[in-house]
Amino acid sequence: MGGVLSYFRGLLGSREMRILILGLDGAGKTTILYRLQVGEVVTTIPTIGFNVEQVTYKNLKFQVWDLGGQTSIRPYWRCYYSNTDAIIYVVDSADRDRIGISKDELLYMLREEELAGAVLVVLANKQDMEGCMTVAEVHHALGLENLKNRTFQIFKTSATKGEGLDQAMDWLSNTLQSRK
Amino acid sequence: MYTLLHGFYKYLTQKDEYCVVILGLDNAGKTTYLEAAKTKFTKNYKGMNPGKITTTVGLNIGTIDVQGVRLNFWDLGGQHELQSLWDKYYQESHAVIYVIDSNDRDRMDESKVIFDKMIKNDLLSGVPLLILANKQDLPDVMGVRDIKPVFQQAGGFIGRRDCLTIPVSALTGEGVDEGIKWLVDAIKRHSIVRPPRVND
Repeated sequence: MGGVLSYFRGLLGSREMRILILGLDGAGKTTILYRLQVGEVVTTIPTIGFNVEQVTYKNLKFQVWDLGGQTSIRPYWRCYYSNTDAIIYVVDSADRDRIGISKDELLYMLREEELAGAVLVVLANKQDMEGCMTVAEVHHALGLENLKNRTFQIFKTSATKGEGLDQAMDWLSNTLQSRK
Repeated sequence: MYTLLHGFYKYLTQKDEYCVVILGLDNAGKTTYLEAAKTKFTKNYKGMNPGKITTTVGLNIGTIDVQGVRLNFWDLGGQHELQSLWDKYYQESHAVIYVIDSNDRDRMDESKVIFDKMIKNDLLSGVPLLILANKQDLPDVMGVRDIKPVFQQAGGFIGRRDCLTIPVSALTGEGVDEGIKWLVDAIKRHSIVRPPRVND
């Protein structure tokens, strides 16, 4: 019965993709979420809890969850892991001091069984800042070369200027569509 | 009793797993090739539209089952700043696929330089090597006859490993079959030295 239902659902159009936006506090997660949804920069305050919005990108519907990134609330990320199709991990490329913490949180998160099938997109955000890390530096600092069983991609972005997000969403929607 | 049956079932269904790293300059067609291989060897898999494939900065993985073994592909970014990350994968690789854009005569030397650097790495000594002269669907490209001598200059480092250079078109899928099948045989021959990946 379930098979029949899902067959018809397949005919009607694709299911909503579930995406989590994660990263340390101040990385720009909320700015990215609203940049994707309304296309402009909104003034944000540190997220305590979460924001969830439906984003439509090129006929694909995404349900995007932006979870607060402060130390005290990071343990709650795992409550949202089930049925996740993709993780957007946002890094503040100008924050060299905390990139190590960001790496630890990422590796800790990717160890979760529930996220084993999720695609990973790393956004090296705040590329508009002077002296920020390059893509290769972020790659190295996050230890991404140790991820050998997961498709991932890094993009340089500037959420405030709106640069790089389109490429990232393009890649994400193509990858998720071909995985079905 | 359950353990016994379970063990027997696992013995019957388990496949040897090998890892293959796909390297080459950016825009050589590595990701397109991986998609073509996945399409060829996976039932009901609709590959990504080649027009939508963008520059890889990161890693694409792909798994195919062929001739009783499982191949895990790692398709890495080929841009200059990402080449330093390649060697992180060498130790666990059972084979290397090196992709060349046969249409890009200007960057042939550049491609050769990084090829030489890769082939000289001790972690890859003896590992089977498949060299692909890609983009053969385009008119007036360099053929295998032109490309092979360029990359054979590092002959000493290629050594006695299994090495094959073939023309392919990742776009049309021509030559993909042949290459993968050769690779599987070569990997199996070499598995005495580099045994399959252990999964617990």
